[in-house]
Amino acid sequence: MIAARHLSRVFGDRSAVDDVTFDVAPGEIFGLLGPNGAGKTTTLRMVAGLIAPTSGEASVAGVPLTRQTIDKVRGQVGFLTEAPGLWDRLTVEVNLLTYARLHQLSDPHAVVARALERFGLSDRATSLCAELSKGLKQRVAIARTLLHDPPVVLLDEPTSGLDPQSARVVRDLVRELKARGHAVIISTHNLDEAERMADRVGVLRRTFLAVASPVDLRRRLFGSRVRIVMAADASPYTAIVERAGGREGVVSGRELSFTLDDIEAGTPPVVAALVGAGAAIISVKSEDQPLEDIYFALVGDESGEEGGA
Amino acid sequence: MIAPARVFALLRKEVAELSRNRSALLPVIVVGFITTALPFFVAIVGPQMTGHALSGDRELLETLTKVSGELPGVDRLSPEGAMQAFIFSRFLVMTLLVPVTGAITFAGHSLVGEKLGRSLEPLLATPITTTELLLAKVAGALIPSLALMFLTTAIYIAGVAMFAEPGVARAMLSPKTALLVLGLGPMTALLALQVGVLVSARVNDPRTAQQFGALFILPLTGLFMAQMSGAFILSLGLGLTILAGLAVVWLLLLLFGVAIFEREAILTRWK
Repeated sequence: MIAARHLSRVFGDRSAVDDVTFDVAPGEIFGLLGPNGAGKTTTLRMVAGLIAPTSGEASVAGVPLTRQTIDKVRGQVGFLTEAPGLWDRLTVEVNLLTYARLHQLSDPHAVVARALERFGLSDRATSLCAELSKGLKQRVAIARTLLHDPPVVLLDEPTSGLDPQSARVVRDLVRELKARGHAVIISTHNLDEAERMADRVGVLRRTFLAVASPVDLRRRLFGSRVRIVMAADASPYTAIVERAGGREGVVSGRELSFTLDDIEAGTPPVVAALVGAGAAIISVKSEDQPLEDIYFALVGDESGEEGGA
Repeated sequence: MIAPARVFALLRKEVAELSRNRSALLPVIVVGFITTALPFFVAIVGPQMTGHALSGDRELLETLTKVSGELPGVDRLSPEGAMQAFIFSRFLVMTLLVPVTGAITFAGHSLVGEKLGRSLEPLLATPITTTELLLAKVAGALIPSLALMFLTTAIYIAGVAMFAEPGVARAMLSPKTALLVLGLGPMTALLALQVGVLVSARVNDPRTAQQFGALFILPLTGLFMAQMSGAFILSLGLGLTILAGLAVVWLLLLLFGVAIFEREAILTRWK
């Protein structure tokens, strides 16, 4: 659905995005992670056909992104910008109707009525956008983004500044888009959100530092931690675990945790070795490294603020 | 390829938004009131308050003699009526300030307003082309400006019919008046608008766009002063020539505007 190859964008003498390659399939949610100025918005704008790459190429919904096709590409994309960008002096309904007409939808009134209902906005149709809460504004902006049922949906910080209830509505909606086969790119600072929603994440700092599922990223960088609780003191079993492939073992009373490079292949031999040595095992659990740790391992812990797009 | 449906969609939104924007409408209404009321003070209220009839002013009489050929039917009016016809027809040029002020104000709020409201990026993310966007923006400010100008002119003529000497209003209804109201007025407004939209696409502050557009007030004021003194007579033929010239300049400005309108720069450089 989205194929980006070696996309780069230079503003003056500043490189905003450098050699970014990725694909997003229908029904896939791709998370773009990175500090401010890492090039997330620039990448989204290039895919949305708003700005041209300095080099590289992309195709969106099967349409190659060129100067000649750029208007057509914009019709295939729903782009939720970082700010809702509503016309505050106009009502919710007029905001949506204008966009339905700009997309030349055949029955704009019917499309808008459906959108209002779908997003729980029917009772606010005649409200001025200036009067809406931040969460409601974001909901209107999302409704606007999806009016023309685009196969490709780009969401720039969709839950930024929202209360937990509104953020949950947005997350549910993104999952619904995935279920309906839309290709979704979500740019976010919220690592927990990325982990919960994205099938794959790209950690961006001008170029991709890593692209993989959160689980794969964790394994690749840290391996996986396993925590075993025993019926008695676990300290006699540290050497057995290390012989069976575990490393960085830590004992705390009846608990023994250690790292495995491959949790699925590595856990059964360790458990078998422990049982063979007479350990009474109560539970075995994976102890995943938070995505936040992975993120900081990749981008470092400085802000990365560059003031760019 | 221009899609009229997209232009009309944005145009409807522009007009709806403008009708709710009191801060943009207020200056135009104030200018409309002043340009409409001022000549009545000069031609009717002033002479009545001072007790000095306009027809007793020798300098005005000399000027009227110079331009009487441009005022059909003025010779059938009373001396005071002829002077009133002269004053009211000269001040008609000032009503052009209404669409120009409207154009300047509305254009200033146009693209810069979208930028300040952060609504431009979602708009640019639709399939709308640059030409369609600029056409809708210009028309969206022009239509209300002209509507206000026509309203002001109608009130002006109605006021002349009610308060001036008999026959003065009829004397003003000439082809030249039609040229001013239907030709030069709209075209001057269109030019001011085009400059305003063009500038507002390159700056961050509506006031900067308005200051550039305000340059159009100077030639209008100059034209008014020259007409009042009789130094310059705007004949029908000259008016048509100016109209054609302004139309060419507008077309060039439109093409120039499309050429220099950079969607990317607007998104990436405006902060």
